[in-house]
Amino acid sequence: MTNYVIETKSLTKTYEGIVPVYAVRGADVTIEDNEFTAIIGPSGSGKTTLLNMIGGLDRPTSGSVKVNGHELTGKTDSELIDFRLKHIGFVFQSYNLIPVLTAKENTEFIMLLQKIPKAQRDARVEQLLGEVGLADKMDKRPTELSGGQQQRVAVARALASKPDFVLADEPTANLDSASASNLLDIMARLNKEEGITFIFSTHDQRVIDRARRVITLEDGVVVRDERR
Amino acid sequence: MLLKIAWRNIWRNRTRSIVVITAIAIGLLAGVFASAFMQGMMRQKIESVIKLEMSDFQFHRPQFTDEFLTSLYIPNADQIMVEVEQEPTVAGTSGRLISMGMVGSARRSGAIRIMGIDPAKEALVTGLNEKVVDGTWFEGASRNPLVISRKVAEKYGVDLKSKLVLTVQDLDGEIIAGAFRVVGIFDTGNGMFDEMNIYVRQDDLRALMRIEAGVHEIAVSLTDHDMAEPLAAKYRAAHPELEVLPWLDLATGMRYMIETMDVYLYFIVGIILVALLFSILNTMLMAVLERVREIGVLMAVGMAKRKVFGMILFETVMLTMIGGPLGLLLSWGMVSYFGQVGIDLGGAYNDLGFASIVYPYLDIRSYFEVAIMVAVMAVIAAVYPARKALKLIPVEAIRTQ
Repeated sequence: MTNYVIETKSLTKTYEGIVPVYAVRGADVTIEDNEFTAIIGPSGSGKTTLLNMIGGLDRPTSGSVKVNGHELTGKTDSELIDFRLKHIGFVFQSYNLIPVLTAKENTEFIMLLQKIPKAQRDARVEQLLGEVGLADKMDKRPTELSGGQQQRVAVARALASKPDFVLADEPTANLDSASASNLLDIMARLNKEEGITFIFSTHDQRVIDRARRVITLEDGVVVRDERR
Repeated sequence: MLLKIAWRNIWRNRTRSIVVITAIAIGLLAGVFASAFMQGMMRQKIESVIKLEMSDFQFHRPQFTDEFLTSLYIPNADQIMVEVEQEPTVAGTSGRLISMGMVGSARRSGAIRIMGIDPAKEALVTGLNEKVVDGTWFEGASRNPLVISRKVAEKYGVDLKSKLVLTVQDLDGEIIAGAFRVVGIFDTGNGMFDEMNIYVRQDDLRALMRIEAGVHEIAVSLTDHDMAEPLAAKYRAAHPELEVLPWLDLATGMRYMIETMDVYLYFIVGIILVALLFSILNTMLMAVLERVREIGVLMAVGMAKRKVFGMILFETVMLTMIGGPLGLLLSWGMVSYFGQVGIDLGGAYNDLGFASIVYPYLDIRSYFEVAIMVAVMAVIAAVYPARKALKLIPVEAIRTQ
């Protein structure tokens, strides 16, 4: 029997209103360790909603989400926060770094929440920022960094807690070609060399071209699951 | 890290934070100074009441303070005074013959309280000899000397060496008059007291009232005002035939005033703190609403709700803890300065029995109390914005622009 990092069953999200909107309908998705997966689809197809439910940020209307065998749907808000801290890394479209912290502090922050000792934190921050090519920008605040550099700090932050996988929601959407390409190179290398599982929601063809698996959503339904 | 984030967040909007910190400092300064002003005024009033009007405790025959009958004198006063003077905290005792009589000059006449005193003993209790601004405190005076206040002198159009006729009731109820000559004029700064009392030598009044021995009132002055109540109780038990009352029971209005003053002080500071509370709350609420996405991200990446709450609390407390001590320091400086030089209110307060120059004063305990109130206010001010932050749903907050 395969041990999935992520396993969703009949995952459905409906927004109630005068006319109910089915954001995701009966999605059965499994992700294995070390995958580099892109979830694609047109706007409004349910990519981000699916990603949010997998990441424990949004609750499904029905169905289940398991992360390394842990069922997320029954967890309280506080349990979900704790679960995210320990198991999931996030990279957002708009970088979303803490503006008052430096690159080093932004990366270190997650480890502080995990109560990791200072010596270990320092070593890991140095390693991560080195891996994303920002060893010389450690003391810069987000406003002193370019978009690409900020997103690379966000990747370092996402990896700081040694998560089971990283969810990246349109990570290249706000980046120019060179920065996007650079970021994807870094993530692909981390996936290949360190076995980190990445799951993207994206429109970006550059991401799709690099992905080893592409899941296509249309109107909230998984219509294609292609492995390369 | 939480403290670091909170501290840096404060300075993200430097102008707004400085405005709030200034508001806290000035608000506290206003509250503390108003309290110090009132406390200083009360303190002077209490000193004045104890020193001039009531002393620390007094002996009377029952009903004397209601009826002021000449016959209600304490015959064994000398023996009681000797007994009381044995107490280590007693600074002085003064026996007083008192008559609610009339004073008349060539210009006018009116009611007055005539105090027949032993000048040396009275000086130990009231220190009135030090308030003489013209003439003497009976020193070297010949027959029927009289010491009056400047107010009485102005009211009756008299000056040093002027003659005034005092009319009193003797032991048999007869109305007796005597001519007295002004040898001294005092000014205590307490207009009501000055207007009400004039002083003559006890023996002169004794002759008019025909009381051979004894006095109507024994005033006892202490070195420690806190001993007034226990000593009064002790002598009340020892002399059940007499009414022995501490100054707070003699000046019942004062007890009321002191109690209401405490409430008043807390009320003033409370109002100012409530106003500041809403100002801080508003600022922190704006800070939270401006950072909805950021807080959403913090929660998304795993920051526990109690830590989000703590972060907002730290920010609020830090804002207050900069403005609070600054305000207290300014207040301390201002209270200390005006406590030395005083604030001149002019004559109006003098007429009401308060000193015309007020020396603001605030005890250390009150500074601590205000500091604690400010800290409590900071925590209260943080609760609503922090709760607002906690209610954010990360997935929605992250989408906020």
